[in-house]
Amino acid sequence: MSGGQARPETKVLVLLGLLALALMIGASSGVIGLSPRLLFGDWPDALGWQVWWQLRLPRLLLGVLIGAMLAAGGAAMQGLFRNPLADPTLLGLANGAGLAVAALIVLGGGMAGPLGLYAQFLAGFIGALVVSALVFQIGRRYRGREAVVTLLLAGLAINVIAGAGGGLLAFIASDEQLRQLSLWGMGSLAHALWPATLAAMVLLPLALLGLARCARGLDLLQLGELTAHAAGLDAQSLRRRVILAVSLGVGASVALAGIIGFIGLLVPHVLRLWMGPGHRLLLPASMVGGALLLVVADTLARTMMSPAEVPVGLLTSLLGGPYFLWLLLRRRRTAME
Amino acid sequence: MLTLEEACLDTTPRLAAISDRLAPGELLGVIGPNGAGKSTLISLLSGYRAPSRGRVLFDGVALADHDPAALARRRALVAQAEAPAFDWRVSEFLGLGGGTSDGIARAIHALELEAFEARGIGGLSGGERQRVMIARALCQLDALEGDGTLTRLLLLDEPNSALDIGHQQRLMRLLQRLVRERGLGVVCVLHDLNLAATYCDRLWLLRDGARVASGTPREVFANGGIAEVFDVELEISLCDERPRLRLRQ
Repeated sequence: MSGGQARPETKVLVLLGLLALALMIGASSGVIGLSPRLLFGDWPDALGWQVWWQLRLPRLLLGVLIGAMLAAGGAAMQGLFRNPLADPTLLGLANGAGLAVAALIVLGGGMAGPLGLYAQFLAGFIGALVVSALVFQIGRRYRGREAVVTLLLAGLAINVIAGAGGGLLAFIASDEQLRQLSLWGMGSLAHALWPATLAAMVLLPLALLGLARCARGLDLLQLGELTAHAAGLDAQSLRRRVILAVSLGVGASVALAGIIGFIGLLVPHVLRLWMGPGHRLLLPASMVGGALLLVVADTLARTMMSPAEVPVGLLTSLLGGPYFLWLLLRRRRTAME
Repeated sequence: MLTLEEACLDTTPRLAAISDRLAPGELLGVIGPNGAGKSTLISLLSGYRAPSRGRVLFDGVALADHDPAALARRRALVAQAEAPAFDWRVSEFLGLGGGTSDGIARAIHALELEAFEARGIGGLSGGERQRVMIARALCQLDALEGDGTLTRLLLLDEPNSALDIGHQQRLMRLLQRLVRERGLGVVCVLHDLNLAATYCDRLWLLRDGARVASGTPREVFANGGIAEVFDVELEISLCDERPRLRLRQ
């Protein structure tokens, strides 16, 4: 492949082209097939229009936004922790947000409508924020290889606690709440309707923009905190901005679509191999790459067992879990060399 | 350029008060046993740690009161070797702290990086990586150009710990050249006392977080203090007006 020689900007354009293609395929395929011509205003019938406007368009948009957020959030966390395995799911951010949202559903007395939606955003944000602050406090006490292990163990512990908390909540939940929990919790874009998508269209670009502005700081941080300070970096302010943006974005994503794992691990890792670790390119490229992966995965989830639908979180975990194991094996080998 | 007024750190690790000045065009060596506070001193001089009491002034203004971006072009640091988490291409890594492409080319030449300029930093040996770190700091200051009109400070913490003896000598000569020709002020933590005695204009000897001696290498090595600080049996002779140390068998 000549990929190594292409200009990095060209690579982002290639990704954008692939995303456009995936969106076209995603728009036309499903239980009710739609001709790609509809994108050019050629409406076959009222049903086609309904499916496109009420179901597919908001779902595609939500997939783009959440995919972009999860991947860019992963890239930023990895830069912040200087650790290629730091991922919002592995570190427990997503599950922390999930536990907070589940607690709201079960204990919050069932708010409906837009108010309930925003309360869920807030719960997700706070859950993710608490976990990231905690993980960061643990992670900064260690250096090098020790830090990698400690972080992953901390994430494991948080995931176990969140799992147990979620189980407890499911245990005390009423039947109606239980149905709501299981619908939301598996990680799926199936509930993407305009109110949720519109809210995501406000919150997630905000978080993405916040992350994009951290690119130079994240690059500098790779020098080590002391050297980066001498190169003009205010590491504390960078940390605050990254953690806030990731918590906001991941919290909102989890509130909307449940836990969709491994996108934040997979996408930045592949892209770093392809275009290098510089965040000025890696962050925007991860946004496009994450959107691409989630749109493709969601299209598969909708169509592979049609008319039934596989939760897309299952698919990304099936893809990402083995990849993560392979990464661990590879790291072990390089460590021994 | 750098003035310490009774600057001290009460935190752990602690550092007793020091008052001194570093002039442009001076190569200051910092020596002392493990845990003496050398790296702590570097973080104080760099402004990463603020003094608990006293002041550290750069061109008459406290380090914390400088604009960080402007100060970054005048003060750079090479920390103790730490491998980057990601595999940067060397040429890309050199530009991380800022610097022109000319400055990067000069630094590549000065640290003899031509052979692995296009390679990933993860595949380099410890010594090669150390040279990349030093070159990056030079890029940040554009240290291989200009004269002493713009005061510039370079702080190095054991920059030669992984270098072979040839590169150690060439590094010390490069530092001397930066000081003499470009008017930089350089503070360099060294473990090799002979290198320190041979190349530094002035030495600070640290022990248990306090500066116990300071002066020219001859002055610092003059009495038996150095052997006591390091708890080692030494013979000190003079060679070209510079002290030379030998371990006693």
